[in-house]
Amino acid sequence: ELGDALAMRCGNTLTGVFVPGSKIALSAYRHVKHNSRDAPTETADQDPVLIYMAQESTLFDEPVLRSILAEANATFGTLQQLGLKAEQAEYVNISRAYRSIVRACLEKLEHEKKSPEVQTDEPRLQRFTEAMIVFYAAECLWHLFEILYIQQKQMVVPQLLEWARFHFPQTEERATDLVLMGEEASESDDYWTTLKAIIRLGGVDITRAILSQNRKASQPVFKAAEAILKGMPVYMDGYSLQKFNSQWEYWHVDAERKIQSSIFASEPELEQILLLVTGNNEQWDAACKEAQDWYEYLPGYLLYTKPTCKPYELRIAAANWLNRWSLLRPDKHLTSMSRMIIQLMERDVKLFIYEAQKMSDTHWFSTHLIDLIYHCGMLKGYFDQNNIDLPALRHSIVYEYGSYLMTSHNLWQLGIDYLDCCKQEGRAAIELLLPRISMRSERQATKLINLAKQRGLVTVEQEICKVLSRRSFDGERYGNALEWAIRSKDVLLVTSVADFILKHYSRTGNLHCPDTIASVGGRMFMSPRLVFLSKYFEFYEFYRNRDFLAASELLVNLLDSKITPDYFWPSLLIDTMPLLESKDPKIFYKETVAILHHIETELVPIIERDVDKYGNHHTETVFKDYRVENIDEILNLMRLACARNLARAMIIENTILTD
Amino acid sequence: MSLNNVSTHYISEKVAKVRWLPEQLQQSERFITGSWDMDRNFVRLWRLQSNQYAMSDASVANVEHTPRCMDKVAIEGDVTGMEFVDKDTLVVSCSDGHLSLFNVQRAVEEDQMQRKVRSERLHCFQRSLEPAPCTDLSVYGTDIATVGEDGCVNIVSANNIRQVKRTIEADSMALFAVNFISHQQLVAANRMGLIRMLDARVASEAQPKITFMVACKDDKSSNFVSSLTTHPMQQHVLLCGSEEGSITVWDLRNLNYPASYISAHSSAINEIGFHRKDPSKLFTAAEGGELWMWPENKVLACDNQKDGSSAWLSGDRVKSLVGVEGVLTNIRKGINSFDVHGSRLVCGGDTEAVYLIDDLV
Repeated sequence: ELGDALAMRCGNTLTGVFVPGSKIALSAYRHVKHNSRDAPTETADQDPVLIYMAQESTLFDEPVLRSILAEANATFGTLQQLGLKAEQAEYVNISRAYRSIVRACLEKLEHEKKSPEVQTDEPRLQRFTEAMIVFYAAECLWHLFEILYIQQKQMVVPQLLEWARFHFPQTEERATDLVLMGEEASESDDYWTTLKAIIRLGGVDITRAILSQNRKASQPVFKAAEAILKGMPVYMDGYSLQKFNSQWEYWHVDAERKIQSSIFASEPELEQILLLVTGNNEQWDAACKEAQDWYEYLPGYLLYTKPTCKPYELRIAAANWLNRWSLLRPDKHLTSMSRMIIQLMERDVKLFIYEAQKMSDTHWFSTHLIDLIYHCGMLKGYFDQNNIDLPALRHSIVYEYGSYLMTSHNLWQLGIDYLDCCKQEGRAAIELLLPRISMRSERQATKLINLAKQRGLVTVEQEICKVLSRRSFDGERYGNALEWAIRSKDVLLVTSVADFILKHYSRTGNLHCPDTIASVGGRMFMSPRLVFLSKYFEFYEFYRNRDFLAASELLVNLLDSKITPDYFWPSLLIDTMPLLESKDPKIFYKETVAILHHIETELVPIIERDVDKYGNHHTETVFKDYRVENIDEILNLMRLACARNLARAMIIENTILTD
Repeated sequence: MSLNNVSTHYISEKVAKVRWLPEQLQQSERFITGSWDMDRNFVRLWRLQSNQYAMSDASVANVEHTPRCMDKVAIEGDVTGMEFVDKDTLVVSCSDGHLSLFNVQRAVEEDQMQRKVRSERLHCFQRSLEPAPCTDLSVYGTDIATVGEDGCVNIVSANNIRQVKRTIEADSMALFAVNFISHQQLVAANRMGLIRMLDARVASEAQPKITFMVACKDDKSSNFVSSLTTHPMQQHVLLCGSEEGSITVWDLRNLNYPASYISAHSSAINEIGFHRKDPSKLFTAAEGGELWMWPENKVLACDNQKDGSSAWLSGDRVKSLVGVEGVLTNIRKGINSFDVHGSRLVCGGDTEAVYLIDDLV
């Protein structure tokens, strides 16, 4: 629906190219075949050629959801530090931490959703609703996963009950209301329906509490019911399984017998409750018909028929229950969340993970879950049996998530932690992605460099410094450019910046950024050109401060040093002129000879070479010193100055003073 | 050892700066955060609210406080500096090169905050005329000094930030930190670790050329100054936090060599500062995710305030006169800023969370 004019002309087709940063660049397209003419079309230049950038809009555009990413990142970090060999309880804590992050976020979303600014913004409201659905499902599934696969407990029924009650809270709320109402509760219309519902969710104690406040509580019928409910054995950790089973069997048979003897015939509602408690099929079929979803009453049913259900037994029980459900409620389709619950209960973990990746939460759920599975090691056997390479699976999922974060929405500081866990591939990804993060300020660049340094990514550090150096150079901020070049430790770059500064000086007499050159210090040794620049600057300072003797000494050292760049010889030699011609001698005999030597051996050959190359106007193209029009002219002047100084120096030095 | 009560609150924004609102007589309940590197950056006003459920157990001394965002104002770029000028007015520097003044109104129910004034563009690159990020600011009385990546120092008055009192073209390279030493003098540090002393009364050309360099472990590597602070009671004591994580202490009366050098953290020190009311405690926050407290050993410290000496100037003896304690460690991402008021510390960083510590001993 772009409405691009150019695209419209040729059948409204577009072509796209992937661009770093999870974007696609789209532009108009017309198919070219082997027999199309290679010439501009008739309509060329009539429409602007536009490129559109398309970016996936994700849940994490919303600030409230962004905090899930940050918090989960912190928990992820803690889990990596725990490693593979920690206590089981620690992994359970991590699992709970992740769940509480999601729950806290759901609360925040709930709260934000009511605010006027969200209520009035349709698309945003839509996003909130979608996000809440997705994360609610995530938490529910994670909780079930934790119960079945991460905890070590053998008996899962109590936790399943807790899980079911949490996810169908209305019944419990209503039941609490009834308890608080006391005697008047029995007047409520929904008294018995609520009681039945709460019993189906396994709330025996609260049912007893409500019943004891019933007006007719003192009657023998109610007392008998209370006796049955109270007498139901509840498994506690440490009980002997056999003993418990026989106790339970005894209670069950006893209760059934009592019901069959029609003690409770006078109170049909009460009888129904007791039938539920003894696992009567008819009652439970009725329950199925009233359930919101297939798994709502399964834990309750297990409590009353198989309280010591173990995880592997759950599989069969769940399958049976599901059959029952499908027969009774053929019209009810399974939501994807329900399907995933089935997969968990039937130990179909592989399929569960596959489905988890389809959730529209940009893989938050699947990434953190697979990482936890990998660390706690509980399902190792399962994965081995099914020929799934768990480490590789985890690696690829975490890698995808990490790369995604690194390339979007300024989440690079979070994403890098995930890529750190992906060994070589992750490291390579970091090397590629880190320099591509757009640097908007130097302070941010220092943070990127710090990240690279922590991981020993020397090339990334260098690349970032080089980019910044180049940027500064283009902006004519040469001091800044020089410093970044020095940081990059790239000799060629440093040399080129130093060259530029020197050439500019010889042309104009202006030395860029003297303060920077002065403070280079020990780092100058990385490039001979930089050493030259530094030392020349020292000379320059001596000269300006009129410390001529020191200046001369340094100058001669520079001449001898062999690090003088070709283009700078004239300038350097011209610098000797004032010192040679000054009133009092500044340069001694030996040094003067050295200067002459350099003139003849360095400058003259260079001039001759340039004359050969460029003809007589060579000075305009190569040599430029701001002090002299034509380099050739100074040769003679210099030779003269040297000769005069030589004469003077010889006399002075060889004079013996007598009184 | 004190048991610090740390609470973490995720705020969905990377925190660049955090400051408590000034309060004279009572513990401050409000703080301001400035964000950076977000699609949209905000300056937010937060207020601590007591957790309802914690009240049930009266014997428990620690009442949980949760910060709630009272108000927010959008800002055009990253927040790079934030200081209070007076108890209701906040000055914020931004990476688009502008300064802004914000005003806070405290109320019983809903506090409010608005931007009052935005300055002209204070920092820009000469050649391209693009705005240069403002990297730090310092306040002295009603004067505000800002430094930027263009190497300039600007001094404005809080009463009229649209007019620049003085611009000093101090450096050819980006400046990273600035601190007033007295009403007329300030120090500015650049990316090479060079610190200049500048005079606020004088134009660029006439500035005294007083410079000194931050010390470094290794002569051959670069070390920028990431934060500066002066001792609240003794303004001649200057502490510099650097890129390599070390603290260099200078006695500004004698700039021939640094007074002390302490290698502290293993990553850049993002913020360094003394407790405003208790100058025997120094705090440093580092890029590696640590926040340390440096309490002066009160038993050993004698009454040497008069001659201007300080434990921090003692060179090698500093380690015996000053202790170090980890207040926050193992955060794994940089802590960018902190502020201490009374016995409470608030800090924030790149984990997109603020950390509150009560009962700081």
